[in-house]
Amino acid sequence: MTGTPSTARLITPTMLGAWLLLATVPLWINAVGLYPYIGVEILVWSIYALAFNLVLGTSGLPSFGHGALFGVGAYAFGLTQFNVAANLWICLLGAALAGAVAALIIGFFISHRRGIYFALMTIAFGQIFWTISVKSHSITGGEDGLLNILRLPVDLGVVSFDITDNTSLYYFVLAMFAVATVLLWRLVNSPYGRILAAIRQSETRTAHLGYNVWLYKLSVIVISGAFSGFAGGLFAMAQRSAFPDVMNLAQSGLVVMMTLVGGGLVSFWGPVIGVIVFLISRDVIGAWTSAWMLYFGAMFVLLVLFRPEGIAGAYKLALERWKVRGASSSALGSASRSG
Amino acid sequence: MFDLLPHLLNGLVLGLLLALIALGFMLIVGLMEQINLAHGSLFALGAYFALVLTGPKPPLPDALAAAWLQFPLGARYAMALVIAPCLAGIVGMAVEICMRRTYGKDPLYGLLLTFGVALVLEEVIRLAWGTRDHVLPVPQAMSGGFIFADLIWSTYRFYAAAMAAAVIGIVWLVIEKTPYGAMIKAGAHDSEMVRALGINLSKLRLGVFVFGTMLAALAGIIIAPIWGIRPHMGVDAVVPAFLIIVLGGIGSFWGAVAASLLVGLAVGLSGAYASEWSLLSMYLLLVAVVSIRARGLFGKKSLLEA
Repeated sequence: MTGTPSTARLITPTMLGAWLLLATVPLWINAVGLYPYIGVEILVWSIYALAFNLVLGTSGLPSFGHGALFGVGAYAFGLTQFNVAANLWICLLGAALAGAVAALIIGFFISHRRGIYFALMTIAFGQIFWTISVKSHSITGGEDGLLNILRLPVDLGVVSFDITDNTSLYYFVLAMFAVATVLLWRLVNSPYGRILAAIRQSETRTAHLGYNVWLYKLSVIVISGAFSGFAGGLFAMAQRSAFPDVMNLAQSGLVVMMTLVGGGLVSFWGPVIGVIVFLISRDVIGAWTSAWMLYFGAMFVLLVLFRPEGIAGAYKLALERWKVRGASSSALGSASRSG
Repeated sequence: MFDLLPHLLNGLVLGLLLALIALGFMLIVGLMEQINLAHGSLFALGAYFALVLTGPKPPLPDALAAAWLQFPLGARYAMALVIAPCLAGIVGMAVEICMRRTYGKDPLYGLLLTFGVALVLEEVIRLAWGTRDHVLPVPQAMSGGFIFADLIWSTYRFYAAAMAAAVIGIVWLVIEKTPYGAMIKAGAHDSEMVRALGINLSKLRLGVFVFGTMLAALAGIIIAPIWGIRPHMGVDAVVPAFLIIVLGGIGSFWGAVAASLLVGLAVGLSGAYASEWSLLSMYLLLVAVVSIRARGLFGKKSLLEA
């Protein structure tokens, strides 16, 4: 037990391993029958799911309206590009800011809420944002969506990269994913993250210890909103357009589903696992039958019933059982030796 | 003022129909502390079952089908109002039995389970009946329109509103005037004590869930001729139901009814001025009310908030 515990590190071995593995994806993705764009989708949704898990897994707040923040970010990316400046960084900043502002507005109304009331209020707010985006034809293009969003070049001052093809876009999004994972990992394992975990366990107790629970909840919603908006901006750039359907209740439910399938309640990496499983099974089962949601939905029901902690939870359980078995067999061995 | 009358009436009718959707949902939230996200799918399922029962080809053996088709449409419609909710109730029973595993855990799990069930049911509907829109035929006597004050009114809307009002009345009688209602209310208030008094809580829960499901299916049949039948109809119906429950206060019967009428009037009246934005009005109404009265119009402190 030497060295710093992994929770205190800026970059953990798992993180590094994940990045390296993800960096090799374009080399073999075509060989296994998939295509590079799904990699972009997986990374963007992973950032979104990690941001969402800050609210659900870390703080225990069941949000069913997170699609609104993702969608607002997507629209903000396009609108900044058209009306402010066609610079990648400014547009992404705009997306993150828009997500944060939307989250701030929502947060003011829901931060003193808990449990089912919180969930129902987030559904209501998700629907408000969805309705506005569908009906505001002049700004968002309504159901037709906001089209002709460009994949802007990555301008680093001295050099500028073009990311219009999917592989280079993938590497750019991977870099953004790496930055996001470092920031979110630090946040979850900071003193601030500890207080969020305390709020998840008992809001009343945390309040009695003297913490301003309302402010912590509001701030975590805003931070999650900023990251979700940022992911939404990347998504708009990846699909070159922004549509209202990512904001509706079913799509907001999907991010909850991905996070839980992966095991977001017990593991930092759970949401990423969930996104990978979800998107790949969408493509694999979807190529075989158009009713793929039937099979995925049934799988999800079984998971909630029998492994409510998701894939990461099942893995941890298996690991523990394996250790216990190992320990008991070695104990038996030493007993027989002493006997 | 008179110009607004049609919008006012439409709003009231809409309110009654929304109340019908929301009541089953409210019973389940109130007693079981579970948000049933599959409520909308069961609503849709009711409509589809009725479609099959009133349609030209019921999936029965030939002899039975011929016998069934001898009944006039009115009789088949009336029987569908009873049979389709019972069929949906069987589905609801299966959901509740699965859901038992999540009791005592975070309410989030029940919510997620029903979300998964909703996804599955919607896909089953797509597979069985296709993605296209269907129309539920209504008996001759109830269809058509009439002219009143120089405006054309749809007859069925008023029949639907009357049926909704009748069902609301029946639910009120069950809750307020029968021993089962007393048990349901007591169970919502303190389930431990109810169990200590020797009432079989798991049977009570199953009963309430099936009853709530049947109400959803019934609402689906009554509303289908107005809103049309399509796989997505459940989601369109269930979101207002969530809002109404929060607006009225969880566990309050009259809260839910009052909130439904309020939402119906808000949508109806705002439709008079800005029809594009009429749906937004109910969300704004919710935000306005809940910012002032945190637990909704008639809500009391609930165990759900802990």
